[in-house]
Amino acid sequence: MSTDVKNRLTPAKVPPPVRSSAMPFVSRGVWPLALPAIVISLVLVALPIIWTFILAGSSSRPNGGFIGLANFEKLFSDALFWDSLRITMFFFVVCLIVETILGLGLGYLLSLDVPGRKIFQAAMLVPAIVASVAVGLLWLLIFDPSLGIANALLGTIGIDPVVWLGDPKIAPWAIVIVDIWQWTPFMALIIGAGIRSLPAEPFEAAAIDGATGWRKAIFVGLPLLAPVLTVAMLLRTVDLIRFFDTVYVMTQGGPVNSTNTLNVYGYRAAFIDQDPGYAATLQITLFAIVIIVAALFTAARRRFTIEY
Amino acid sequence: MSTDSARVMTGKRLVPVYLGYAVALLVFFSPIVFMVWSAFRDSIDISSSPFNLGSGLSLDNFEKVFSEFNFLRYTINSLLIAGASTLIGLVIGAPAAYVVVRRKWRSLAFFMLVARMAPGIMFLLPIFVLSVSLGAPSNTALNYALLILAHVIVTLPLCVWLLVPYFEAVPESIEESAMVDGANVLRRFRQIALPLVAPGLAVSVILSFIFSWNYFLFALALANSDTIPLPAIAFSFIGEGQSDYGGLMAASTLISLPALILAVAAQKWLVRGLTGGAVK
Repeated sequence: MSTDVKNRLTPAKVPPPVRSSAMPFVSRGVWPLALPAIVISLVLVALPIIWTFILAGSSSRPNGGFIGLANFEKLFSDALFWDSLRITMFFFVVCLIVETILGLGLGYLLSLDVPGRKIFQAAMLVPAIVASVAVGLLWLLIFDPSLGIANALLGTIGIDPVVWLGDPKIAPWAIVIVDIWQWTPFMALIIGAGIRSLPAEPFEAAAIDGATGWRKAIFVGLPLLAPVLTVAMLLRTVDLIRFFDTVYVMTQGGPVNSTNTLNVYGYRAAFIDQDPGYAATLQITLFAIVIIVAALFTAARRRFTIEY
Repeated sequence: MSTDSARVMTGKRLVPVYLGYAVALLVFFSPIVFMVWSAFRDSIDISSSPFNLGSGLSLDNFEKVFSEFNFLRYTINSLLIAGASTLIGLVIGAPAAYVVVRRKWRSLAFFMLVARMAPGIMFLLPIFVLSVSLGAPSNTALNYALLILAHVIVTLPLCVWLLVPYFEAVPESIEESAMVDGANVLRRFRQIALPLVAPGLAVSVILSFIFSWNYFLFALALANSDTIPLPAIAFSFIGEGQSDYGGLMAASTLISLPALILAVAAQKWLVRGLTGGAVK
């Protein structure tokens, strides 16, 4: 308390002693502020990840002991694992492509300055921030074979009712629809903000060269937007490869494992099959795939996008 | 209002834009309207005439979920877990983000990215094993503590990543002059840097709270019947109450309430948070 007053009364005192390192003034001595975060992340993040690796190398039977890479051998010969990998990649590719294309359109719409834009934006925010459990429950009702809107809509154009979530051929597409509904507005928000921050000059230059609306958008707008667009795609990529929430709420991986993503398989292995060792192995594999795909994506992004 | 008028569209050019709005609202927003509407309708009405706009509205579904199931308790659990984990994430994350910026400490930021990218079950498995060995499933206080800590895995990386760009915008010169005045690190952080990143704190609080509120995976495995939050309990209704869509939609509406309120009341912060990092 008293030193406070003293310091205030005697400004321009001697600055802290200069050390030989080239570290800027303001950087010195700040690191203890990160101490709580370091401790918490070691306990909550590093320790569980290490523990997961130990689990993967241990037998799930009591007193089974250390079994090395046996769980990974099991993984490679497990048809259900390869199936879940294929399903995960299917969701990833289809959802990312559709969400990006629709997101560009909706993002353009969100970028326009018209009366009522704020109200429209508020409505588009909702799917992106509503809990996945609520989204799943809502779409369970929409896809209900007898009382859902989905079949009622099909009925109006003369198509017979579909058992959306009960048919292994259709259920993955129903999940795709839900994911596109839930995450296209999120992509659009990022893309819309990106469009609004684009510089005007390149467009004016292109207009002088005689480029019209569409040409300007594709040959000038899209390359300029690439840095923002690819970040949005990267965020979706990480989430799609770990796809869990709505699938688990709506189908729990069924019917006949047709929507069994890697993450859902991992959860079921842990808490339904009660095989923590194998579940840990699945999770490590999933984590590795997330990192590899994100790294490839980031490398491609660096290679192909221009900074302005 | 008039300064922007050059960019604001008017007249006939508005027609295609509003047509686009109408299509987008129909596709992306009408399901939400349908959910809230169904929450106020009788389950029998929903099944006999899904589109009948004339059918009566009532609060019966909400009364039912609060009286037959202990929804007040689950709502309080959700508020407690999301609120506490947001607070912890912010109190720990803000100084960490400051250090990341001032020390250019990339490895700490990278560590937070790992936490953001790792699948949640990777954390859940060991925490679940720990929870069982501690006897947490039958100890309510311990159960709350573990749930809140588990949710910090969601909020802490989010807070750090959202706050880094805000601290980057704080000029070093302001802090240098405070240092000359003899302010120590803690005072510099609290009295100079922190007030300047107030908008970032608002963004972090709102987004962390929403993400933590929405997260149901940890509670699914860790919570007991006293500590379970709203999304996890709603999940457990699937199957048994499948025919009672009125009740399910009332539960869904309750779960969505923070999102619906914040989309209107805190739109600016939400957009900043969701687009932050991608758009500078």
